[in-house]
Amino acid sequence: MKKTTAAIPFADSQAELERRVAERTAELAAINEELRKEIAERKLTEEKLRQEERELKRSEVHKAAILDSSPDSVVAIDQDGLITEFNPAAELTFGRRRNEVLGRPLADVIIPPSLREKHHGGFARYLATGESKVLGRRLEMTALRADGSEFPVELTITRIPQDGPLAFTGNIRDITARKRSEDELRAAHEQVLRSEERWRSVFENSAVGVALADLSGRLIATNPVFQKMVGYSEQELQELTFLDITYEADVDRNAELIRELLGGRREQFQIEKQYRRKDGQPVWARNNVSVVRSADRLPRFLMALSEDITQRKQSEEALARARSELAKVARITSLGVLTAAIAHEVNQPLSGIVTNASTGLRMLSADPPNIDGARETVRRTIRDGNRASDVITRLRTLYSRKEPSPEAMDLNEAAREVTALSMSEFERSGVLLRCEFADDLPPVEGDRIQLQQVMLNLLRNAKEAMSTIDGGPKELLIRTEKDEGDQIRLSVKDSGVGLTAQAANKLFEAFYTTKTDGMGIGLSISRSIIEAHQGRIWATPNDGPGCTFSFVIPRALDEVADSELAADRDDESRGAA
Amino acid sequence: MQSPQDRSDDARRLLSVVVDDDESVRESLPDLLREFGFAARAFSSGKEFLESGCAGETSCLILDIAMPDMSGPELQRELQRRGQEIPTIFITGQRDETIRARVLKQGAAGFLLKPFSDEALLAAINTALHAA
Repeated sequence: MKKTTAAIPFADSQAELERRVAERTAELAAINEELRKEIAERKLTEEKLRQEERELKRSEVHKAAILDSSPDSVVAIDQDGLITEFNPAAELTFGRRRNEVLGRPLADVIIPPSLREKHHGGFARYLATGESKVLGRRLEMTALRADGSEFPVELTITRIPQDGPLAFTGNIRDITARKRSEDELRAAHEQVLRSEERWRSVFENSAVGVALADLSGRLIATNPVFQKMVGYSEQELQELTFLDITYEADVDRNAELIRELLGGRREQFQIEKQYRRKDGQPVWARNNVSVVRSADRLPRFLMALSEDITQRKQSEEALARARSELAKVARITSLGVLTAAIAHEVNQPLSGIVTNASTGLRMLSADPPNIDGARETVRRTIRDGNRASDVITRLRTLYSRKEPSPEAMDLNEAAREVTALSMSEFERSGVLLRCEFADDLPPVEGDRIQLQQVMLNLLRNAKEAMSTIDGGPKELLIRTEKDEGDQIRLSVKDSGVGLTAQAANKLFEAFYTTKTDGMGIGLSISRSIIEAHQGRIWATPNDGPGCTFSFVIPRALDEVADSELAADRDDESRGAA
Repeated sequence: MQSPQDRSDDARRLLSVVVDDDESVRESLPDLLREFGFAARAFSSGKEFLESGCAGETSCLILDIAMPDMSGPELQRELQRRGQEIPTIFITGQRDETIRARVLKQGAAGFLLKPFSDEALLAAINTALHAA
């Protein structure tokens, strides 16, 4: 406003005043207007500011909500490595309060002492070079809790995109549980592998053949022993079923057992059968076959444990042959004894022949010739010749090379036959024959013919012993009874000339037979027969006249037990469980 | 098979005795011995022979080795014990090599394996009688 000091006429001053007021008013109005404009602008700006504030607040709230609810720890640091953010999850994970850690160096708070240097180094390198090994990648590290314990974490670190100073944020996940599960899984896996390894090793190294077949019989897995046994490779066997390589004769039986197995009528079976090897040769095997079921009890595989018993079968046959040979030899105690026994048996008639014929010749050469005498010697010669022949025939029958045929037999019945045969002989000799056969005598295991020979021998010896008795009774008692220790005893008691104890011992020795009438077989051979029957034969003088010859032999196994045994054997070969 | 004539000649003949439990030997050997010109008797056991009392008259003894009760060698020992040594020829069916040595050592005059020829027997008897 321009200030004026000059005097102005009053009329003019009023107009001037009005003019000046009007000016001033116009000025004020303009200023007011400007002010109003400014205020309006300011208001707008303020409004904008307020808006931005609200937005910021919203985004802050948003961010806070995200951070608060994140299950992962979120930690932010500035370019000095000081913690600027520490969300609730981080508080939980590391055991720290947010307000405790803000502004503190990250390294001191959550990085284990052993790793701090590395962290510092890496951080410094990034700040210097912009290069980092850790940014933007998922890493596994070890972190530190407030209580000093260390634990495994997975983390990602990113640079916060903003102008100005550097800032970083890290997402950290506590993977203790995950790691534990991973370890457990790995351990379980290893255990499974080890177990598989073990079973594989069992399969591969088993001393018996192992074969696994599917339900059609195809040999899906076989171990080396089995492959070697049948002479095929694993691949070749995978194209075959086990019936393909089984001998014709055994197929039906085998198939039937498999049907029973799969039908649930049995859980396993044993079978001895022959395989046909690749080279066509047979091999005997003893198989234990079972069905392998799945978790829901359905059959999945057939498993066979297969043992090569070819050797065993051959050995068994050889043993059986050897045993029967031995039994034959044992029957005669020794070949030398047999030869001597034969020689002795035959020598007697031979000596007679030579002596009588020599005598006959001399008689014919005499002057005058003794025709009658010579005739007698010739008669004796013929008789002795026949005796020798008889002896040989009997010995040949006795020691013929057919198998001994032991059977369960009734000793009483055998004895009755013998006494019936000898009855007429005894009657002619005036011998009274009595029989005392035990009732329900258990059967014995024996060769019927041989035992009857022994009985005949004893009866004839008894008759001989009584042949020189005049006047006294000629009584012969043949007796059977049960003896102790599951044995059966047969005894022949005579009332003849008897024995001294000394003679009783010698009687059974080889060479010690007095038989000349050609029907007996000698006591030494009798002893051999009885001993081959696992028995004993002996003679004892009677209290009265004469002596008693006895033998004991074991009874046959119980009939019931016997048939059970036989049934068991049959079952086994048919494979009953 | 002695005729009455033979029996009266016996008195002049030397007596040969056979002791053998084998009946056929007792049956055949004495006849052969008679053809040789001996008087002959047979016994079935040593006991029988000893009890017969003709040991004193026996010029030659033909003994079986294996016999019940008393064997040939045992009989010989018994006779030796009684001071009645008789030239003895042992006969046997056993083919045991050691027996021959044993009996010869014990003083047997002869040893024959059955069956033996008549010539062998005669030779043995002659040896026995001449050695006596």
